[in-house]
Amino acid sequence: MATASVYSGPGFDFTNEVRNNFLTERGIPLPKATSTGTTIVGCLFKDGVILGADTRATEGPIVADKNCEKIHYITDNIRCCGAGTAADTEFTTALISSNMELHSLSTGRKPRVVTAMTMLKQMLFRYQGQIGAALVLGGVDVTGPQLFTIHPHGSTDKLPYVTMGSGSLAAMAVFEAQWKPNMERAEALDLVCAAVSAGIFNDLGSGSNVDACVITASHTETLRNFVKPNERVQKERSYTFRRGTTEWTKEDVRALVVEEDITHITGGRGAEEAMDTS
Amino acid sequence: MESLRIVPGKGDKAATVQDTSNSFGLHDTLKYGPRSLAAEVQSTGKIRDRLENWEATQDNLKLQMQRQLFGLHMPMRLMMERKIVSQNPHMPILPQSNLHLDILMGRDETLECADFMTSASEMAHPLDIHADMEKKLRM
Repeated sequence: MATASVYSGPGFDFTNEVRNNFLTERGIPLPKATSTGTTIVGCLFKDGVILGADTRATEGPIVADKNCEKIHYITDNIRCCGAGTAADTEFTTALISSNMELHSLSTGRKPRVVTAMTMLKQMLFRYQGQIGAALVLGGVDVTGPQLFTIHPHGSTDKLPYVTMGSGSLAAMAVFEAQWKPNMERAEALDLVCAAVSAGIFNDLGSGSNVDACVITASHTETLRNFVKPNERVQKERSYTFRRGTTEWTKEDVRALVVEEDITHITGGRGAEEAMDTS
Repeated sequence: MESLRIVPGKGDKAATVQDTSNSFGLHDTLKYGPRSLAAEVQSTGKIRDRLENWEATQDNLKLQMQRQLFGLHMPMRLMMERKIVSQNPHMPILPQSNLHLDILMGRDETLECADFMTSASEMAHPLDIHADMEKKLRM
């Protein structure tokens, strides 16, 4: 190879592809992807955008994390909520955050939300939904407040109020009933909390606390654990057992350190020959 | 490739021993491990082909459109510039960046997965500088 390829590689590793196909043919299928649950929402109000998310991370039927963060940083004035595969949403938003920073350094301007949206949808489209990231992107830029949803296959929506994840139907019901244009900050924040709470209480994949993020033209305010409706209460009884609760019939203590009697002999046979070598 | 495709198509799959051959032109099993060309051609990894041919397909589209708009000289000049900056006098196996090429390809101000995730197959290559130099200089 005199000259290497001018194209960069795929970045992902496919060395086990042939092996995996072989195993699938022999009746050992690949593990199924576990279904994920989340409620993430976003809505426009008078001065900007409010994003909201629950804080439960699931692994199938198991709650993996009761208080995880689902609102990710993109730039100072843009945030992104992620539903779907947690690793994929973390990775995708971190990568786009870096790209947005490079882009704003290159142009010397404050980055726009559409730029982040385009980067995200182009990246996700390229991976054909194999990167399982369903995102709600919101922010305020020179063109005003912007709110988008991005689906794992790269399609996008631009709406005044959006929801994503398994609790999206419950949350959307609240928005459909109560959202109106040009709401005040407190009113909108209450609505976002109500929408996320609807997801928390009606969807099994969502739970724990409500995170919120209020983005206005001048300021971004992250309200971590804004509402904690599922605080764990003190247990009614104590489950510590008194020493000696379990009875035993026989006690046998085995010493694991082997003790050995060593007799040190001075001036024994062979002592002279051993001395000669030094 | 005179197509105006935006995303890679299904195209015929090909497998080659070019990168893993020994001096006889056969696959070097001792050095690179066992390999089955038949299995590689038959495997139906849609996403793999898509990712591996992604940049090439989109670049082909750009060059093709330039050719139709401005004439053959335009893509030719770009290819020439790329070829000039791709020539590299250094050790072929050591990892290296090529800023000139990155600028020409328009990826000097972006971060992609390939920029920070080296695939396991690339990392597993033994650091055989002599063999690669011989291969590069066709000795």
